[in-house]
Amino acid sequence: MASIAAIVLSACSGGSEQPEGGGSEDPIVIGISLPLTGDFSEPGKGVERGYEAWRDIVNESGGLLGRQVELKILDDQSNADRVVSDYESLIAQDGVDLVFGPFSTRLVVPSARVAQEYGMLFVEPAGAAAEVFEQGFDNLFYAAPAVADDHYNNLADYLLALPETERPETVAVAAMDDPFAQGTAYGLRDKLEAGGVEVLVDEVYPPNTTDFSTIAAKIAQSDADMVIGGTQYQDAVNLIIALQQLDYQPELAAFSTAPTNPEFAAAIGNATEGILAPTGYSPTSEFPSNVEFVEKYTEMHGNPPAEDEANAYTTGQVVAAAVEAVGCAEQGECQQQLIDWLHDNTVDTVVGPLSWDETGKPNGAHLIQQWIDGEILIVLPEDVKEGDFLFPKPTW
Amino acid sequence: MSGSLLLQSVILGVLLGGLYALLAAGLTLYFGIMRVVMIAHSAFLILAAYLAWWFNRETGIDPLVSLIVTVPLFFVAGLLTQRLLVSRLKPLTLTMMSVLLTFAVALVIEGGLGFIFSGTQRRIPLPYASESLNFFGAQVPVVKLIAFGLAALSLALLFVVLKYTRFGQALRATIQHPEAARLVGINTERVAGYGFGLGLATAAIGGTALSLDATIYPSLHWHWIGPLMAIIVVGGLGSIPGAAIAALVLGVAQSLLQLPLGSTWAQTVFYVALFLTLMFRPQGFFGGRLAQRF
Repeated sequence: MASIAAIVLSACSGGSEQPEGGGSEDPIVIGISLPLTGDFSEPGKGVERGYEAWRDIVNESGGLLGRQVELKILDDQSNADRVVSDYESLIAQDGVDLVFGPFSTRLVVPSARVAQEYGMLFVEPAGAAAEVFEQGFDNLFYAAPAVADDHYNNLADYLLALPETERPETVAVAAMDDPFAQGTAYGLRDKLEAGGVEVLVDEVYPPNTTDFSTIAAKIAQSDADMVIGGTQYQDAVNLIIALQQLDYQPELAAFSTAPTNPEFAAAIGNATEGILAPTGYSPTSEFPSNVEFVEKYTEMHGNPPAEDEANAYTTGQVVAAAVEAVGCAEQGECQQQLIDWLHDNTVDTVVGPLSWDETGKPNGAHLIQQWIDGEILIVLPEDVKEGDFLFPKPTW
Repeated sequence: MSGSLLLQSVILGVLLGGLYALLAAGLTLYFGIMRVVMIAHSAFLILAAYLAWWFNRETGIDPLVSLIVTVPLFFVAGLLTQRLLVSRLKPLTLTMMSVLLTFAVALVIEGGLGFIFSGTQRRIPLPYASESLNFFGAQVPVVKLIAFGLAALSLALLFVVLKYTRFGQALRATIQHPEAARLVGINTERVAGYGFGLGLATAAIGGTALSLDATIYPSLHWHWIGPLMAIIVVGGLGSIPGAAIAALVLGVAQSLLQLPLGSTWAQTVFYVALFLTLMFRPQGFFGGRLAQRF
């Protein structure tokens, strides 16, 4: 089915008429659907900025295969139905040469399915939940160091290596009903539980929850040594303030995503000391292409890039590496060559060298950052740390 | 389940219920006066919350001070909404058409907020956001206490206005029997305008109270309109004391049910209560009795 669709499409699209190797003067058009409005609009816009920075840097250095790069970005309004029709129309009607993925697991899975039906390479910046890699995709690659379940691996390893008397004995977990948020929290929860840490509270809340007082009351009453939040931005801020209001003082507090957001500290009244978060990216890391990216991005936007922007940029780097290596960028046979190349090779990116297993899962780990003296610093793993791990954390 | 967790949850539920009561007061007023279902009420709440946030960001002064401006502003906005939009609807289809009309107003407000302030989530960085008082071992968050106090004060003031002023008498007469009120010389159109203004003035206070302890974003109003509608139906359409009692009961129920059932199921308490009320007591628990008394 996929190969028939690919043959029909390559016959219909202008791409197949171009000589292999990209001798044409036409730009390489990349189709993307992003949640520029709706629930995921904030990270969606971050991904858009990352893609645009990659396009500008590539075009300024002569383009891909000597051709300029053009992005065709549609707004899916954070809607899974819309994202499917967007990729259908980008691939089948507009005949784009390549596609990049959208933001969030909820949108990545349906759009990857469309890309697979058309035999397209599908590199994505934001589908980190385990379910993405359980769908049998052979065209998908996640452009980040680790999937959600593995985000906290460095922290779990550190805690479980502590002497039993120093290790946290109990943990409370609250996670948004979202595959990514739950994936990060449950990855750590399961590893700690297997290591003998007792789970006292395990709460799930819907994405639209605004009042966290009772969840916070349960956690505070349990007096667990450690709290893990499987969170996005808004819910993490509300949950932390609700916990602070009830004067709960854990020895460790880890929340996914939010603590690395530039507005996080102000939002919780700067009571950030000791809060942990995993991150796949740091603008201060010294991977060769990162310096150029941070400089260009800062020039464009007045501030360094965050993780969403970096993952989008990484997507561009991964696709570009395959295109330059294989020497083509159009629909049809070329796409399978790009896919095969990525399965066999490692790509240097702004988040470090990336390689993937057969499901598209990257073989890496996230950095662990912690708020220390009003700054968020890498504390784990030891070999790249910028500051010493604060444990137990100061009161908040 | 420990006794202290139960006490903590009841306290949090009462504080939440108080806020619900204030947020729902305007809704029940519009319906009481004119049989208007005001879907845009929660959008006005979020607008007020944004104004409080913006005021704090620009001046650094406590957002509660912004009420000096927003309450009269919203009162005038209510007058204008009634005069320019609602009064043009035909009486026979008023209730149904008001749903559509105010739905459109809500979309316009949401779009405007998104355009001006973007979709970024905002929260007012209050110095006392994390403070709490100890009450028999339970913690009482200061911001929630302030919001509750504001709600109690506003509802008491609303009660006094409706019960003891000439305007209140005229409003009650209009609610109880519009035709008879017109016959005795009450300008029911003007009363309706002031009633609408009063409803939106409560939205200004409610939105500001909400902004003290919540992250706000333009589409947040859709989250609120469902529970608020449920509260005014359960309390009895048009009854402010009914709405207040229903808000407190449902706030505490939500908080307590969260302990054994978790957050996802606890939020259904409003819809279960709405369903049961419509099945067994469609006029609401205080409709038709307290509604007449204020």
